[in-house]
Amino acid sequence: MMNYIPSRRKFLAESSMGLGSVAAMWLMHNEGLLGAPIKPELDQEKFDLSAKKPHHAPKANAMISLFMQGGPSHHDLFDPKPEMDRFNGKAFPGTIKYDSTDQASNKVFASPWKFKKHGKSGIELSELLPFTSQIVDEITVVRSMHTGVNNHGQSIEALNTGKVSAGRPVLGSWLGYGLGTENQNLPAYVVLTDPASLPVLGVSNFSNGWLPSMFQGTVVRSKEPRILNLDPPFHLKGKPQERLLSFLDVLNQEHKQLHPWELELEARIASYELAAKMQSAGKEALDLSQETAATKKLYGMDNPLCADYASRCLIARRLIERGVRFVQILSRNQMWDNHGALISGLPANCRQVDQPSMALVMDLKQRGLLGSTLVTWGGEMGRLPVIQNDTGPTKIGRDHNTYGFTWWLAGGGIKTGYIHGATDDFGHHAVKDVVNHYDLLATILHLFGLDHKKLTYHRNGQALALTDNQPGQIVKNIIA
Amino acid sequence: MHSIFCYLLLFIIGFQSPNVPVFEQEVRSILKTHCFECHGEEEKLKGGLDLRFKSLILRGGDTGPSIVEGKPEKSLLIDRVIAQEMPPGKRKLQKHEIELLKSWISTGAKTLSIEPKVIPRGFIITETDKNHWAFKKIKDTPIPTVENLSLIKNPIDAFVLNKLEAKGLTFSKNAEKNLLLRRAFIDLIGMPPTPLELQNFLNDSTPDAYEKQITTLLNSQHYGERWGRHWLDVAGYADSEGYDGSDILRASAYHYRDYVIKSLNAGKPFNDFIIEQLAGDELLKPPYQTTSPKDLEKLIATGFLRMAADGSSAKDVDIKLSSNQTIADTIQIVSTSLMGLTTQCAQCHNHRYDPISQADYFRLRAIFEPALNWKEWKTIAGRELKIQYPEDKIKSADLEHKALEIDKKKNERLSAIQKEEFEKSLAKVPSEKHATIQKAFETPIAKRTAEQKKLLSDYPNSNVNAALIIQRDAKLSAEFKAYTDEADKIRALKPAIASYRVLTEVPDKVPVTNRFERGDFEQPKEVIKPGHFDLFANHNLGIIPEDDPSIPTTGRRLAFAKSLVSENHPLTSRVLVNRFWMHHFGQGIAGNPADFGKLGEAPTHPELLDWLALNFIKSGWNLKEFHKLVMTSNTYKQSSTRTETLQKADPDNKLLGRMNIRRMEAESIRDSILKINSKLNEKPYGPPVPVTPDDYGQIIIGTDTRDGAGRFTGKKVDLKGEEFRKSIYIQVRRSTPLAVFESFDAPILNPNCEHRNFSASSTQSLLMLNSQFIQEHAEHLALKLQKEAPKSIEEQIKLAWILVYSKAPSKEEIDVSMSFIKEQTDHFSKNMKKNDSKSDLQSLSALCQGLLISNRFLYVD
Repeated sequence: MMNYIPSRRKFLAESSMGLGSVAAMWLMHNEGLLGAPIKPELDQEKFDLSAKKPHHAPKANAMISLFMQGGPSHHDLFDPKPEMDRFNGKAFPGTIKYDSTDQASNKVFASPWKFKKHGKSGIELSELLPFTSQIVDEITVVRSMHTGVNNHGQSIEALNTGKVSAGRPVLGSWLGYGLGTENQNLPAYVVLTDPASLPVLGVSNFSNGWLPSMFQGTVVRSKEPRILNLDPPFHLKGKPQERLLSFLDVLNQEHKQLHPWELELEARIASYELAAKMQSAGKEALDLSQETAATKKLYGMDNPLCADYASRCLIARRLIERGVRFVQILSRNQMWDNHGALISGLPANCRQVDQPSMALVMDLKQRGLLGSTLVTWGGEMGRLPVIQNDTGPTKIGRDHNTYGFTWWLAGGGIKTGYIHGATDDFGHHAVKDVVNHYDLLATILHLFGLDHKKLTYHRNGQALALTDNQPGQIVKNIIA
Repeated sequence: MHSIFCYLLLFIIGFQSPNVPVFEQEVRSILKTHCFECHGEEEKLKGGLDLRFKSLILRGGDTGPSIVEGKPEKSLLIDRVIAQEMPPGKRKLQKHEIELLKSWISTGAKTLSIEPKVIPRGFIITETDKNHWAFKKIKDTPIPTVENLSLIKNPIDAFVLNKLEAKGLTFSKNAEKNLLLRRAFIDLIGMPPTPLELQNFLNDSTPDAYEKQITTLLNSQHYGERWGRHWLDVAGYADSEGYDGSDILRASAYHYRDYVIKSLNAGKPFNDFIIEQLAGDELLKPPYQTTSPKDLEKLIATGFLRMAADGSSAKDVDIKLSSNQTIADTIQIVSTSLMGLTTQCAQCHNHRYDPISQADYFRLRAIFEPALNWKEWKTIAGRELKIQYPEDKIKSADLEHKALEIDKKKNERLSAIQKEEFEKSLAKVPSEKHATIQKAFETPIAKRTAEQKKLLSDYPNSNVNAALIIQRDAKLSAEFKAYTDEADKIRALKPAIASYRVLTEVPDKVPVTNRFERGDFEQPKEVIKPGHFDLFANHNLGIIPEDDPSIPTTGRRLAFAKSLVSENHPLTSRVLVNRFWMHHFGQGIAGNPADFGKLGEAPTHPELLDWLALNFIKSGWNLKEFHKLVMTSNTYKQSSTRTETLQKADPDNKLLGRMNIRRMEAESIRDSILKINSKLNEKPYGPPVPVTPDDYGQIIIGTDTRDGAGRFTGKKVDLKGEEFRKSIYIQVRRSTPLAVFESFDAPILNPNCEHRNFSASSTQSLLMLNSQFIQEHAEHLALKLQKEAPKSIEEQIKLAWILVYSKAPSKEEIDVSMSFIKEQTDHFSKNMKKNDSKSDLQSLSALCQGLLISNRFLYVD
């Protein structure tokens, strides 16, 4: 009794009925999943991306991470150290933890850039960040970040996955696992990569680790085709693929009749429907021609120096507006790793991201989205207070420092116009209100209404978590 | 009527009067989980309170008795937990746990047995612990009787049908013949039958037609590749080191992968397979460099203990931390794969659920420490076994000799050219100086006198540089390149010095094993000797020696391996057959293949599990016999369709009144597609086929051509058919799993994988709709159809159905397909430039794609 009607509408109508019931059943199944104590896995768990209730009332329901790989120099951007001016060019009065000993020197390197107070809060920022300076009253500057592992890969793992070891799921995957997503037509977790390259660790930056593969980050590239496998090959576009989907549905429905009550088969049928919907929803979300000229100008899309970063920030806002849970904008490989030529390299980096980052916060605010959207800006490390590569003023740089560095956060329940923590007089070590990677991650989950100790995944007889047995403290002082 | 009956049944089951709780069964496990660490198992008792036995609870601690029998409201224990004062920390007792404690006290605080009078301090294993199903000796269970004897093909059926009949159920009918064959093929070799293989089976009317198929499949090379993959999951096989982001390649790991495949194909008894993997080196005598090729296999087998992620060669790694992590992961691999226990929980403290103490954990660790000595940890290169056999040495020397001959010829020719050119140059030198200049030129540069040097610089033309001349002359350079190429070619034939990733002990360097306080290697405590878990004290597992004087190594692992495969061990054979069963049925008899402890799911058919375990031992640990037994049972041959009766009585199919429908694993999906479209490269063994990110960050099969700064160059390296090899030969790089595999839930090896996920996601769907992978293979299949069924589209459709679904299409299915193809072709030809004849191929490809991404292909019915 098969009828071959090449109509996409029919396909969608039929399977969306199916979807409703499947989704409902999964939802019921999954609601028991969160907040449960360690218990035996009696059944194989089913996983999906339907929106789920957090443990407690959330402040944030979406997040945009502006990840600055390489380690932006906090001395020159966020963390003024007048004491260093006195010692400029002189020996550092203490011990330094160098990473690259071959080019190391102990000469103090005071920031060549001026700091000024901004906004009502009077937060001091460097002249290299004229745009970010305009939003100081919207953000919290955390000057006491700490991971304590002095190389890029491990520190990225720490901030992304909670621990320095490889192979674990990243924050975005945990959020998808714990909360699902609001818009089933778009991925829960989107990664916007730099056209030049992937950061250190490559695809591990958005790896689901041992969580099911559906929680992996979906990469959106800067150029077409933007999403892998989103578009049909040219000859199948439009009608031919609609016909293919209808034909597939006929095959699947026939098979399903032989297998009543088989939920997994229904789920897969529904997943083809989701894929089809994603094709149009994805296109629409990425279409910047819908934005006004004023908005584009705000982000700096008219400025070739920052146009690409601007477009990615704008896409991030559009995705969040459409219910995507987590968007991660990755910088290029070692962008901020200024071991040398800091004098020219750092201002160039700032010109790329300063205006779009500001615009993102302002734009979210004017659209009423900032309250529920957490924005974070920072890298896996900061830099040392001393000169590296002492071979002339244009060539000098700064070495790695994961013992004290700066991030800023905005929205999603974060305090406004606030400075948290401090480093020592030379910005080498975080000394006051230290925020470790696990503290930051516990706090982010908390803002999303999730208890970092309860959000667990059962594997090989263990209940595993993002912060896994580390003493993660919620940084209450940065929460509004 | 029917539904009322069911409702009543539910009522009766659901509302039975609750049992009176007893200490040993429910109460103790709650207290063990939450309280024993401070109140009983550690050296010091907090508040003088010991909660390990009822008598001790009654005696109480510094603040008096903990309970008053019959009166929960007067019991201190209840007060403290309700007030959430106890246990301290964030994990409090759950409501139902508190209720249970209350109900135990109010019903008189009953115990099952009389408690011992003298209770030693510390960790205690009670009778209840020992009586946990998985820790009891495997029972020789009689085969049960059933009503419907005609349904019994072998004892498996009797065990399963007996339980079904008890619930008024019976087996489902056998699956259709072609579906059954497809099931058997995918189970044993991970690929469906070819049309010919299918036809031969359908035409075979002999009574043992199906049995013959099983035998043929078990003899196929692909059998070892399929079941080897299952074993590599639990062994945590990878071609890279993991541990940190650098994820260095493990160039020689594949020898172990090949060893597994060869062992399974050869039908090596599983007990030998286990002994070799745990202690192959202890079966041989060092120096291992002279081991014969036959014995080398035993050393390669120990690669099993080298599979855990390993930071030894990574940069900036704390080697003490990383080596201890590698040891812990290795122990986890051993205990989950062979013992079905989550021993890793006992690394820091006594196991909270199972009767495994921290000392037990370190007894197990001491077995491995002579080979995994964290205090004298070796680098990866330093521990690889490098072997060159005498005949290879001779062959190498011989080839080098031949290459040198060519080098000699080349040098002679070079001298000749030099001489010739020099003589030509003499034309410009006055003849009286010919003799002196010749002498100067022939004197080596370093030995030339100042006079000679001046002479040569006065007549620079005479200072002939033959190499330069050759370089400038196209003909000469071609001639010389030919010499070099030939010599290189000969040298390339030299047998390489093979490097193997093995585990061996360093003689006379046996480290002392200490218990680590809270699992922290910076806090070593008392010395621990190797040994079995206390839990197995009465199982006659033999002694694990500290140092066996009869062999050069300590003999610890050998003794341990032998104990695991002795018939007295309650776990190994149960764990193995349960896992094999899971791969045939989609679910184990015990639900958690890696946790046979208290938190694991109890077996649905404990008697069957024991019977299979004993039978496996009796068969000589013969896995192929096990497959035959299982696959020829009626239990296995059942249809996978859920009937209404079964759906109501047993929706989770615990009683096995039908087969489970199962999605193919990632590797089977890819391998099946390759077989179906005749692209499969069946070459076995050897170094893995490389994977690389493309500029999406997607991982594809290919050679990494990124430049030093990690930028994509867009260069492609021809893999010459390697890209179509079976999935087990594709590189397993931990940080960059192949996209097709990852999307379809290939294992994450961290450290190993006991149970795969089977997810359905829109990522998979987008991959199956639009990826280059599926488009390419759909077209390969279409081309094959056009070639093999050139007569008509209808013939092509029929062939496609048989290839993909192992079944001919119905009339309706042909009609639907024809009309699909017609509409696609019309569309394509309308939208194409004139004279483009590709529209037929494109619409046929679309049909193939539809079949390859449909549930009927992706699932095993």
